[in-house]
Amino acid sequence: MVGPSSTTVESEPRPSTTPRSYFWPIAVLILAFLGGWPLFVPNQFLFTIGTFIVLNAIGATSLHLIIRTGHISLGHAAFMGVGAYCCVLAVTKFGLSPPLGLIIGMAGSGLLALLIGPVVLRLTGKYFVLVTFLLGEVIRMVFVEWISVTGGSNGISGVPPLHPLLASPMATYYVCLAASLFCVGLCARILSSEVGRTIDSVREAENVAECSGVPVIRLKVSIFVIACALVGLQGGLLAFFLRYIDPTSFSMVESLNLVVMNVIGGMYSLAGPLIGTIFIVALPELLRGYVELQRVFFGIILIVVMATFPGGMVDLFTRVRKIMASRNAGAVG
Amino acid sequence: MFSTTILGQVFLNGLSLSAIYVLIALGFTLLFGIMKVVNFAHGAFAMSGGYALYYLYGVLGWPYLPAILLSALFVATGALVLEFLVFRWFYQKMFQSMIGLLGLNIAMVFASVILFDVYERSIPPALDGVLQFGELVIPTDRLLVVAIAAVVLLVFWVFMSFSRYGLAMRAAAQDIEIAETQGIRTRQIYRLAFFIAIFMAALAGGIYAQIYALSPFMGDRPLTVAFIVVILGGMGSIPGAALGGVILGFGESFLSTFYGSAASSFVSFGVVIALLIVRPWGLLGTPE
Amino acid sequence: MWSRLLKAALVGLSLISCACVPAAAQDVLKIGGIGPLSGGGTAWGLAVQRGVEMAVDEVNKAGGLTIGGKTYQPKLVMFDDQYTAAGGRTAAERLINVEGVKYIIGPIGSPSALAVVPIANEAKVIVLSNGYAADILRKSGEGAYNFRAMNSNIEFGPAMIRWLHERHPEIKKVAIIVTNDATGQAILPTLGADYKAAGIEVWSESYERGTKEFMPLLTRMLTQNVDLLDLNSNAPGEAGLLLKQARQVGFKKMIWQVGGPSVDEIISIAGPLANGFLSYDVFDFNDPGAKSFVDTYRAKWSGVINAQTPGWYNATKILFKALQEAGSLDTDKVRDALVKIEGYDGIYGPVTWGGKADYGIAHQLLNKFWITEVKDGAPHALTVLTPEKK
Repeated sequence: MVGPSSTTVESEPRPSTTPRSYFWPIAVLILAFLGGWPLFVPNQFLFTIGTFIVLNAIGATSLHLIIRTGHISLGHAAFMGVGAYCCVLAVTKFGLSPPLGLIIGMAGSGLLALLIGPVVLRLTGKYFVLVTFLLGEVIRMVFVEWISVTGGSNGISGVPPLHPLLASPMATYYVCLAASLFCVGLCARILSSEVGRTIDSVREAENVAECSGVPVIRLKVSIFVIACALVGLQGGLLAFFLRYIDPTSFSMVESLNLVVMNVIGGMYSLAGPLIGTIFIVALPELLRGYVELQRVFFGIILIVVMATFPGGMVDLFTRVRKIMASRNAGAVG
Repeated sequence: MFSTTILGQVFLNGLSLSAIYVLIALGFTLLFGIMKVVNFAHGAFAMSGGYALYYLYGVLGWPYLPAILLSALFVATGALVLEFLVFRWFYQKMFQSMIGLLGLNIAMVFASVILFDVYERSIPPALDGVLQFGELVIPTDRLLVVAIAAVVLLVFWVFMSFSRYGLAMRAAAQDIEIAETQGIRTRQIYRLAFFIAIFMAALAGGIYAQIYALSPFMGDRPLTVAFIVVILGGMGSIPGAALGGVILGFGESFLSTFYGSAASSFVSFGVVIALLIVRPWGLLGTPE
Repeated sequence: MWSRLLKAALVGLSLISCACVPAAAQDVLKIGGIGPLSGGGTAWGLAVQRGVEMAVDEVNKAGGLTIGGKTYQPKLVMFDDQYTAAGGRTAAERLINVEGVKYIIGPIGSPSALAVVPIANEAKVIVLSNGYAADILRKSGEGAYNFRAMNSNIEFGPAMIRWLHERHPEIKKVAIIVTNDATGQAILPTLGADYKAAGIEVWSESYERGTKEFMPLLTRMLTQNVDLLDLNSNAPGEAGLLLKQARQVGFKKMIWQVGGPSVDEIISIAGPLANGFLSYDVFDFNDPGAKSFVDTYRAKWSGVINAQTPGWYNATKILFKALQEAGSLDTDKVRDALVKIEGYDGIYGPVTWGGKADYGIAHQLLNKFWITEVKDGAPHALTVLTPEKK
């Protein structure tokens, strides 16, 4: 009999654990690839795509932190925008140096998260989603309406590069790659530590965690602030990359993209958003020319993923591996 | 500025806005209340209703009232296929439904682009004139909208309050497991609720497309409206949807006229955010 | 002997067939196109695609484009920019670095154009774009490779308003209702200044793009006692609704549009309420000279012809002319040839570049334009105007 059961607790796959012995060789290989390919295929277009992928990885993994605490934010791109605008204003209106602008951008979005977090993180799942959805829209409307400061819908153009020596597409890619590795590394460190286990326990059984003495709200707010600061960094880097920012780069569509990257890749493992990012950024490029058809397939994929393996692609791999393993085990006996 | 003429005009505008908003929100809240599904594709169904009306009334030239009822019926019937293929995997799984139905929305909207092309079309109005009462001007097409909405809402209320199926649906909304043990056939109730919800969405969509414009992307605004109204009134609460629709309709009319549309948007979003923080179950919903 | 004859015949045939297949040996000249092909702006993106394709087909049917002694087959490579800055940037990068394109037609939206122009200029790629933001031309500097192929309101606004003021001196206050997106916000200051220069007071309001319900806004307008409603840069659908709802709310004074044009859509949406409406028009589809354009379009595509399509057709033809004049594919030479073209007639009448006073470089194409009035449900051209060459 097919169809859903009527339980309200969504069964959640275990966070995937790659065997320790495989981890470092794979990681080194991936790093070598990420750092090395520009030297073999120096094509400016690929640098641009590569830069978009690594920048979006920051957003997706920082959102992943928030999702691991049990909250889905539909307003993450708005925080990216706050970081971007703070950074650009610091550089263009106050003449500060671009690297300092990046720090100010991170501080701006982090500060906003600190102000809003304690209030909204008290809400349960669905209400949090709705509040962040609305907040994202409100922040975007502020970008659009506050013309004197943000330039309104026409944005701010003529943003200088991060550093005159680092203006070439290849250098931009390496800078963004470095930032991305830092952010992903930070997220991985948090999630694999004691704090990470506490986060998982808060998500799975919040009341029990609280009874065990976990300062739930403080934990959630800290993670939220860190995540928003990181995505603020992405905003600042994006501004230096495009040399121009406008509200359309930080709209609901972007926030949804970040969520979808997590969902399709897998919400319960850090590898998820990384896989999702490559999928969402690279796929439209490969399928250029069939825009509508591509979107239709995309929608169908979302439906299928959510209906059959909500843990995303990571969950799919794990299941396949389990099936293979059980087959081998069966064959032995 | 606050003359009686203007206030009267504001009231009339608010009335017609409320009518459309309530129609859109009712279907949305029904799907949430009974099946715990957040229908991100609600706007796409409204859009389908718009296209159905365009073909029945605009192209084939059927008389208006049959056309609008039949177009909603066609869409709701056709949607049962989607119920079987897509929706039933997400019943009682709220979070998965959000993303999955978001995917459905994307698929439906761009399939429409492929089928119908992107250009905005307009459906010829059913009534063309304006009624003049002294200084007040009432366009007759808006009046018709209010009338249709009122009739539909009345029928819906009678159904939910007095028919066996209506009672079964309300029981399912309160607690699905207990309802099942009482012998209520959930699959049937789900399908019925789905049909009614999509019927109302398609009806609202047809009206919306006729008063404003028809395009594959027209469903975005009705979806946002549905969200706001349902949050205001309480997710899953039917009287809440009606109340929320009225508050939003009149509120927007008043604020936009006297303070501009940016102010109106900020206030409505701000109020809803504040409500979610302080009283997330809305005005008439039940706290969990 | 027969076998030798047969062999000779075969050789002869193959030689003749080689000579009869010059098309395969001709070079392809890629022309890049950027515009929104998904989302709400798709109609404008399609206008770019179809306008350029029409010019390309026309040239190919005539045997190709001869540049400096060599004949080329132009081909359009069109990419979607989704009307965003990142989309435009990606599309341009792909065109320039993967497809090797040196000439781009489009983009149409300011965010996209503002993102494309800097990298195109760096790569010495010629761009003929639209987009109302003045920075598109202003921030480019001397020797830039980008041009603007359509009038923005800075070009047509002053002439229209002056014409109106002369005809209707009793108009003292105007209502300008704009979208709060890039186009609307770019237009409001300049259009407002043009009205004020004619001694007309300005009241303005903005709304979120995608809004369709304007009754509250228009009721608000009624309290302001304006003599004129200007629909300026509103999209055709919204312009039609604004007009219809303004009449429905009881506004009896004049309505016109310094922008658009959206005349056909407005007539279809507002019906009899549209009578008396005046508008900026970029193209007189009823003009006998336009007939061949309309017929060629209809032979390939159905549906409403987006009014921007002739403008892109015009831009492509001007580009081709400049390529021929330059006699080479080198973009420096083509850019210089473009600037020097004066008097060539694509479809808009003699080409004239202007804009030095407004933008610092004269890379704005000054197209002639019409003012149209709706009478008895159909548009009628009232007068033809030309932007000032500044």
